[in-house]
Amino acid sequence: MMTSRIAAGGAAGDTMMTTSTLAPVATGTRAAERPVAVALAAFLGLGLLFMAGFSPAIALHNAAHDFRHTQNFPCH
Amino acid sequence: MIIRLLSAALAAGFLAAVVVTGLELTLTSPLIVAAERYENHETHQAQRGLPIVLAHAGHDHAAPDAAPEWQPGEGLPRMTFTALATLVGAVGYALLLGAAILACGREPTRQVGVAFAIAGFASVALAPGLGLPPELPGSEAAPLATRQAWWVMTAAATGMGLYLIAIRRSLIAILGGLVLIIAPHVAGAPQAPEAASELPAALAAQFAARSLAISFVFWLLIGLGFGWAWQAFARGTTRGTAHA
Repeated sequence: MMTSRIAAGGAAGDTMMTTSTLAPVATGTRAAERPVAVALAAFLGLGLLFMAGFSPAIALHNAAHDFRHTQNFPCH
Repeated sequence: MIIRLLSAALAAGFLAAVVVTGLELTLTSPLIVAAERYENHETHQAQRGLPIVLAHAGHDHAAPDAAPEWQPGEGLPRMTFTALATLVGAVGYALLLGAAILACGREPTRQVGVAFAIAGFASVALAPGLGLPPELPGSEAAPLATRQAWWVMTAAATGMGLYLIAIRRSLIAILGGLVLIIAPHVAGAPQAPEAASELPAALAAQFAARSLAISFVFWLLIGLGFGWAWQAFARGTTRGTAHA
């Protein structure tokens, strides 16, 4: 799956370090997986951040208290 | 891609959390503990830490006479929970960073990771911090819900504005992005009531500066770590048994 991309990168980058940061990734057959991965990561990420930074449960607030203050989440 | 994204976010989050927990415990936690002494003094509470709970009494269901809510004990337990919260927050930010990079169609490298991390820092630390500076316990502040709403709105608007400016790049998009970035500050953050606080201004200023610096390191490490881990996991899966 990934070998075609690696091979192409290796062939192009044998003379100098090229950083093709703007090249889109979704050239393989797994492109359809990307929206699912993005949505899942966004959902999980927001959930974790809510728990660490915003949850009104007092036990969670007290546990994460110093982290919340340091990372400038609004806190009590 | 799903496994790779989740793994890279976990690795980046862990890396950032290890370093930033150390910074928090040495740079900001001592200031928070010092500020709580003023907070306790102000509210004439003998029991250390109790005012943190009481500050929420208006928002929560707990009756004033209810037993004190759970909180980690001073010292090691408190440090451990700070570390745990930092890890949870770091993995959360790393997941969002990875989602943003992929949603924008970029290949996650270390350079791209750092670029998106700077945007993340600007969105969730710098922009909300302009209106709601990082504050110590005991500072006067507007009601929690309005501050949280302004914080979330500002972070979302700044992130979207940076996306329009840096990635869309058309004239309309850049103008729209600027409007999105500036609008929350024109609307204005919820203002704290005017009241004298016994908290020394020097302590608060030092905390605000350290907090922003730590946030910057936090984001840099998340971005660098995510780019590195994303590439490393690709090598791991394609080479497979070549290492053996």
